Amino acid sequence: MTIFLQATVEGLSLAAIYSLVAIGFVLIYKSMDVLSFAQPALAVVGAGIISSLAVDRGLPFIPALLLAIILTGVLSLIIERTFLRPMVGEPVFSVAVLTIGIDILLRTFLDSWIGINPRYLGDPFPTYGTLGSVNVGGINLKYLEIAALVTAIVLITILSIFFKRSKYGVAMRATSFDQEAALAQGINVGRIFGLVWFIAGILAAFSGFFMTGGFNTLSQFSFVKALRALPAVVIGGLDSIPGAVVGSIIIGLTQGYVAYYQFQLEGIVGISLGNGFSLLAPYLIMFVILIFKPDGLFGTEEVERV
Amino acid sequence: MRGRPNLYTDYSKESAIFSNNTQKVWFVIVVISAIVFSFFASDYWLLLLTTAFLIAVASWGLNIVSGFAGQINLAHGFFVGIGTYTSAIIGGIATSSVIGYELDMIIWLPLSGIAASIVGLMIAPITVRLKGLNLGLVTLALVFIGSHLFSNFKTVTGGAGLGRKVAKLKLLGVDLESGIQIGTYFLDKNEILYLICLALCIFTGLGVKNLIRTRAGRAYSAIRDGDIAAEAIGINIFRYKSSAFALSSFFGGISGAMFFTVSGGVEPGTFNLLYSIIFVAIVVIGGAGTVLGPLFGAFFYTLFPAFILVAIKALEISEQSLPLNLGQIERILFGLFIILFLIFEPRGLWGIWFRLRNYFKAWPFSY
Repeated sequence: MTIFLQATVEGLSLAAIYSLVAIGFVLIYKSMDVLSFAQPALAVVGAGIISSLAVDRGLPFIPALLLAIILTGVLSLIIERTFLRPMVGEPVFSVAVLTIGIDILLRTFLDSWIGINPRYLGDPFPTYGTLGSVNVGGINLKYLEIAALVTAIVLITILSIFFKRSKYGVAMRATSFDQEAALAQGINVGRIFGLVWFIAGILAAFSGFFMTGGFNTLSQFSFVKALRALPAVVIGGLDSIPGAVVGSIIIGLTQGYVAYYQFQLEGIVGISLGNGFSLLAPYLIMFVILIFKPDGLFGTEEVERV
Repeated sequence: MRGRPNLYTDYSKESAIFSNNTQKVWFVIVVISAIVFSFFASDYWLLLLTTAFLIAVASWGLNIVSGFAGQINLAHGFFVGIGTYTSAIIGGIATSSVIGYELDMIIWLPLSGIAASIVGLMIAPITVRLKGLNLGLVTLALVFIGSHLFSNFKTVTGGAGLGRKVAKLKLLGVDLESGIQIGTYFLDKNEILYLICLALCIFTGLGVKNLIRTRAGRAYSAIRDGDIAAEAIGINIFRYKSSAFALSSFFGGISGAMFFTVSGGVEPGTFNLLYSIIFVAIVVIGGAGTVLGPLFGAFFYTLFPAFILVAIKALEISEQSLPLNLGQIERILFGLFIILFLIFEPRGLWGIWFRLRNYFKAWPFSY
């Protein structure tokens, strides 16, 4: 039972991390019909900025985190303005490939900065320690995991209030519903696009921190973790924010349980599943769900005119 | 119709592989100069062009499924990998850790393509049901599943970080590894590989050119332009979508088998996400949905690192003084080219070629 609870806690904290990236994906997809493959790269860039500010420059952690998150948001805004604005109205596939190009650019610069050795991100709570953990009834809770869960819940609550209540939130929903009608109502659609990318960048930076903070260190392979938010988005449906959260929980829990129960699972299946199978499990789940529901669990079915 | 090359009096003439004499003449000139080139060029350029030919074959494969049939496929590298390992099993040498049967190239080359296309058909039930971005994401999952399998089947691939030797170069019982003597002329290994890959490239190119004018080719274009409309006019979507995947994987498999035979060994980590994306980028840079596009793209991709090297040598900059190493510069430029081509020239290199050709055709008049 302890193992089960331990796996659940770790799975949920992973889910929190994935949901932040996943919401970024969904926001961009809903407003612009763009699937941004640059999102994982933005997450790692955010982590890189935190590391360079907090560790290399010696800034206190909290200002470094805030600065890095805002800088990542601005970077994301710049990307939208320079590369994606000229592509409005182009085929979805072309824009997706374009974001792959952006991803290659960002990651190459970042990889050359990271170098061969993994980098640390600094310590948010010097008195408690990110690297530390607390033991509750036999379950090992890392501070970082708790922080990830709390941050994700807070951010998602803020976002949902923002979409329901604020002027820009309503404008965003209108834009995602129908761009031309939104334009006709006097909504500055271009500004909305910028805002969406800014928010997505901020979310990516947060998840980047939780993914690479503490013992998880930032290395050249960190982006693969962020990329695992993609199956979460697909399972939930590309255009549904609740779907993104549910998808992330499914993916996170799967990964957590498989990591702890792989041995038993191999006993049932009868074959060796290989090292790191828990990292592959999300993609397999995505495969299975897409066979039965091609638009994901919560995605709206696409209606096409011929 | 002499003197009026653009006047076609019947459909078969218009849809011929070479619709006019100019094209025939240029084709012959290019092929002959490519063959003659092999006798003069240094090993460095021979190897470079050999890889360009093979990458062109693989890109043509991807172009069938993405360019002609309009289905996003981000897992082309996975199919290339399947082809590579099939050839390695059939043609490779067995050691204590990996299996291999040392069979002839005439057996492993087609079989590696067929194995890849069988895998392409196996995933067809999923890929046919999906379209657009969801399909792209599923193929993305395939890349990760593939690299997991490749690094865990140690008896086939040698395992991550170690890799294995690939197929032996043995064609019709003749060992090509040490070169062959033809009359008074001695062909060494690199020249033989160059000529084989050139032939492969020409056959594939003509095959693709031929494919687009057949029933299947027209069905692919119809599916790309509107799959529901295509279904409404009686095109069997399942059959053509899955056959497009199979055909594309076939070319990918063959190209992979040859490619790693040229380079000598293969490590499972090669077939990562970037490897698959390179093919997508080549098709986009070259011009998706055109016959010449992937060829241009493949040459561009293989030759521009060489030109960067030449430029760095000419400017007398030492490699140490650069802020990034050569591989990183290549990758950054590659990323930039993808972005710039998509924004400014969506038809790719083929689009530039098309405008240049038309400009000189009509010269000195503007149109």
